[in-house]
Amino acid sequence: MEETNRQVPVTVLTGFLGAGKTTLLNRILTEQHGKKYAVIVNEFGEQGIDNDLVVDADEEVFEMNNGCICCTVRGDLIRILSGLMKRADKLDAIIVETTGLADPAPVAQTFFVDQDVANKTKLDAIVTVADAVHLSSQIEDHHEAEEQIAFGDVILLNKIDLVKDENIEVVTKRIRKINPFAKIIKTTKCGTPLKEILNLDAFSLKRILEVEPDFLESDHDHEHDDDVTSLSFVSDTPLDMEKFQNWFGKLLQTKGQDIMRTKGILNFKDENDRYVFQGVHMLMDASPMGKWPENKKRSSRLVFIGRNLDTMNLKEGFEACKSE
Amino acid sequence: MTTDLNQFPQLDKTKFEQRGIKLEIGVPVTSAVSIGNNIAAGFGDGTIRIFSSGEKHKTLKAHKGVILCMAKDGDNILTGGDDGYFLKISLNGEINEVTNFGSRWVDHVAAHNGNLVCSSGKVVYYWDKNKKEPKSLNHDSTIGGLAFDAKGRRLAVSRYGGVTIWKKDYSNKWKSTKLDWKGSHNKVSFSPDGKYLVTSMQENVLRCWRLKDKLDFAMSGYGSKVKSFAFIGDTSYLATSGAIDAICWPFDGEGPMGRKPICLPYIGNKQVTFIEPFPDEKAIFAGLSDGSVFLSQIENENNTIMIRSFTGFEVSAIAMTDNKSSIFIGDMNGNILWTSIWDK
Repeated sequence: MEETNRQVPVTVLTGFLGAGKTTLLNRILTEQHGKKYAVIVNEFGEQGIDNDLVVDADEEVFEMNNGCICCTVRGDLIRILSGLMKRADKLDAIIVETTGLADPAPVAQTFFVDQDVANKTKLDAIVTVADAVHLSSQIEDHHEAEEQIAFGDVILLNKIDLVKDENIEVVTKRIRKINPFAKIIKTTKCGTPLKEILNLDAFSLKRILEVEPDFLESDHDHEHDDDVTSLSFVSDTPLDMEKFQNWFGKLLQTKGQDIMRTKGILNFKDENDRYVFQGVHMLMDASPMGKWPENKKRSSRLVFIGRNLDTMNLKEGFEACKSE
Repeated sequence: MTTDLNQFPQLDKTKFEQRGIKLEIGVPVTSAVSIGNNIAAGFGDGTIRIFSSGEKHKTLKAHKGVILCMAKDGDNILTGGDDGYFLKISLNGEINEVTNFGSRWVDHVAAHNGNLVCSSGKVVYYWDKNKKEPKSLNHDSTIGGLAFDAKGRRLAVSRYGGVTIWKKDYSNKWKSTKLDWKGSHNKVSFSPDGKYLVTSMQENVLRCWRLKDKLDFAMSGYGSKVKSFAFIGDTSYLATSGAIDAICWPFDGEGPMGRKPICLPYIGNKQVTFIEPFPDEKAIFAGLSDGSVFLSQIENENNTIMIRSFTGFEVSAIAMTDNKSSIFIGDMNGNILWTSIWDK
């Protein structure tokens, strides 16, 4: 007889100043959709939203005293989400805007770390609004712009009406190089149906199986070390579970700061089930997700997004996990 | 797989439930305070309900949104809401606005002897009872809790990184001292004798300072966040939520350091979520995550009685009238029990 309330999905909305976050928030609050959405905005964010369901927040990041250097969380979010959960009217979704220059990781980590937040809400997806005109130069100049692309589940490539077709191709390629699994939606004035960005369940393991990312075979040019890149690996040879756990656990423990996101589907020797995992920095969620489909080839696929990936001997580490 | 509901034990209603008034409001109860022999309860839809024995409860529409915090100021109720309003409400339903912060929430309120205080974000506002305009006390991070000491001379403000204690000096100027401990501090309280200060933290732990020498120590071992705690009697115990037992730390003599707490167990292995002292007795009401509420004597764990059986929703408020005759219980789904304690 425990409380069996539905968890309210929370969408994290990020993107550089001027990319169009406020345009999108205004649409979410004013469109006739028959849903109740609360929006948590930052006082230093862009102006122009006034609504009862808008909550002002200070972005307060603090470290948990649990010895994990990656466990920075948003204290203000814990406070505001627990307040919103006491409302009489049940919310259909909550949207958290992060300022243009903030790293979205502490927001995501809040949903893994705080038990009350985890019981009543769930992280739905990270949506990044990118300015098609300026993204390329922003990525060059600001590592935050690159990180926001890296963390996104969905990237709204906005203002495409102001860019030539061939340049859209260039920007799209640049995004893909950083983040191969995000869904890219090209928009003008953030004009996309809200169902494309809300209630996606992007952090559920089941969803990873439904929307398989482009697990690109590794073609990886040499980047200068500071770049955020992605690397992916595929293998038809079954993996040894113990070897994999040892390697991967140690990897996240020692390199978790640089590894921003991971996702994967694993084929272990002598196991009938598919194993699915996804992580943000050092925090990881993993579980067996049922048997391999009969008509499908059993193969392991995993993707890393982060910095300095080429210094981690990922290929060698992964190869060494093979059972033969 | 289907679940056969009949396989769960059908608990009989307690005698308190049989003789009391039960309501299903359907909106979370966020707080409750006793005002004389009445109880004022705040709700997630901004209403206040006032319960008095022998009459039907009164409902007041006070806030537009959630009532986040509540305190008493003499015969008045103070409330803060997510609509940005800080209100002073009399028992007969007169509502006065103390201030409003627009879209900023009023997170905490407290009062002592007519002096009012509230916090919104990183700022504490203090209204001297003789003055119209508040004094602002600024902090570097958002405030997690407020508490006066028993005499109202010191105001403790918990925040990220520790606690700030504010006090007026002889020339009536505000002076602050800081107690530092890394991490996020939430609820804060002085011990009734003023010798200790306790905070509950974002981690599953309590932090305590002995104020005479600022010696600090942790009270740990909890399975979840400690959301509720209370000093019992004249500083004999600190009773706490956050575990499947009510954990009671001894604060007599040299304090709890190096001593074991008393653990009061309850049937069902559910987390204790709310603690309310039984006034003037070494006894507590403990509310659990499944809605059940027990009354226990701290020094006699066999002397525990069930006040309310489970509802399925976390207990979020318990308050007893000043004459110790009636008890109010509320949970996160607005299930209420308002009953007399004593057999007629």
